[in-house]
Amino acid sequence: MIAYLLNLGVFFCVNAILAVTLNLIIGYAGIFTMAHAVFFGIGAYTAAFVAMNFTSSLIVVTLAAMLAGGALSFLVALPALRVRDEYFVAASLGVQMLGVTIFSEWKAFTGGLGGVLNIPLPTIFGYEISTPTEFFILALSGLALVVLISRSLARGSFGRNLMAVRDSESAALALGKNVAVIKTLAIVLSSSLAAIAGTIYAYYLSFINVQSFTVDTSVLIMAMVIIGGAGTIYGPIVGAATLMLLPSALSYLWFLPKTEIGSIQQIIYGLAMVLLMIYRPGGMVSSGTKSAR
Amino acid sequence: MLLLQLFVNGIQVGILYALTAVGFSLIFGSTKIFHFAHGATFVIAAYIFQFIYAGLGLHWILAVIVAMMATVSFGLFLNRFVYVPIQRHEGSYFTIFVASFGSVIIVQNLIGIIFGRGFLVIDTPLSRGVEVVDNLLVSPLLGIALLCAVMIFGGLHLVMTRTHVGIALRALSESPELVRTFGLSARRLSVYAFALGSSLVVPAAIFTGATSGLNPTIGYHVMLISLISTIVGGVGSIWGAAIVGLMIGIAENLALWQFDSQWSEAVSFAILFLFIIFRPSGLFGRASVH
Repeated sequence: MIAYLLNLGVFFCVNAILAVTLNLIIGYAGIFTMAHAVFFGIGAYTAAFVAMNFTSSLIVVTLAAMLAGGALSFLVALPALRVRDEYFVAASLGVQMLGVTIFSEWKAFTGGLGGVLNIPLPTIFGYEISTPTEFFILALSGLALVVLISRSLARGSFGRNLMAVRDSESAALALGKNVAVIKTLAIVLSSSLAAIAGTIYAYYLSFINVQSFTVDTSVLIMAMVIIGGAGTIYGPIVGAATLMLLPSALSYLWFLPKTEIGSIQQIIYGLAMVLLMIYRPGGMVSSGTKSAR
Repeated sequence: MLLLQLFVNGIQVGILYALTAVGFSLIFGSTKIFHFAHGATFVIAAYIFQFIYAGLGLHWILAVIVAMMATVSFGLFLNRFVYVPIQRHEGSYFTIFVASFGSVIIVQNLIGIIFGRGFLVIDTPLSRGVEVVDNLLVSPLLGIALLCAVMIFGGLHLVMTRTHVGIALRALSESPELVRTFGLSARRLSVYAFALGSSLVVPAAIFTGATSGLNPTIGYHVMLISLISTIVGGVGSIWGAAIVGLMIGIAENLALWQFDSQWSEAVSFAILFLFIIFRPSGLFGRASVH
């Protein structure tokens, strides 16, 4: 039971990190990206590559993953600077599709469809992290770090700048804000922080393949952010917890066929997205009827 | 010869892309509703057709009619019970998109539960290639799809230029305020846009099922193509969307000359990326709305 809970806990932390970082872009910057799983993947693959070829030091590996995630985020930042709304959704959907193709084709780096196996355990200052409990603590501290960073960003002047850009780009521009820099920073930060989730995930499973970084993952994270409440600090965490508990809760309903649980779970969150948008566009954690945008 | 073969294949795929994209372009151009569930409409059309035609063994004409009724009802249902209520209280692009997206997830999984998640191939002797000139295989389906597309685009052109609804829809895409000034209801017009746009997806879905096959998650691919066509063609220009759809099909297939087929999506994405960076208004942007 403890092992089951710890396992669920690690996955919850990974998902919550992804949701919190995605919320920086969607909720605060108002840029609706469908490619977040790509940066999760870039983090995971980079971590695996560095861990297997160079060093086992957790800090170095994490920094390398963050660097890769941040550097490649220009793929999302470039279109975000040029276009808005519907146009950008198309571009980010394209980045997601392209990412999956590269993950499954670039065999030297990603191991192709088979993925990367036997990723060695991480060490921190010479101490090897191996038990589920240690991994849970690692994941939890990762989540705490990410929440802390995004909270201070969101509450500080940077967060206010972001929201200004989100609510009215021209007004922000008129106030002398450098809209391009603000948007780019938000995307680079969010993408590199998402790579932390990738690192933890790769280490914990010691095996990764493209299945974990498809458009379905992007959609799941997006659903967490939206159902929890975009543009709030704790909304994405609530959303992540809700969507993570859903499958476990569903497995108690004995009359549901086991093979369809995944689908039923997706239908439930799809339905939740539709109904929330009609009746409460701000999400679960929101102050009344104020919209996310 | 290989290039010619790829070109012919490209035309076949491109026609289907054009048919799909036009429906989305029509809806999005006139109502400005980001109908992401257009991809779900596509999936519904293919599965309903397959169920009536192969599952129940009924005549294909009947299957087409039922599939059309299903897609139109789906489009109208979403418009009436999701988009209109959202627009009533605020209706930002974000809210509409998320709701539409939720519908995609629901449809995709329902179809998966009911019909299975496997690959659907509509079995027909027409999809088999016939050697026309040496080494050039052309399937009769290409001819049928071509004929179908010409008829549909011709019909659509007549509707958009000769009927009140068509003219009003074009007016709506150019200036919603003016349409309102003339006493026309934008909400009523959007019903026509959804009915027309959703039904246009049926032939493309059936031909896709017969040529390359599909599964419930093809909706994302359909949406990607429709979005690229609409944006690169220029929002508001349904013919722009059709032409770009055709071009993407050809480009994807010509790329097979050098790259593996897994990269075809990357090719269409590269086209979109370049346009977004260098010419966001598209080929036939606002000013040249048909």
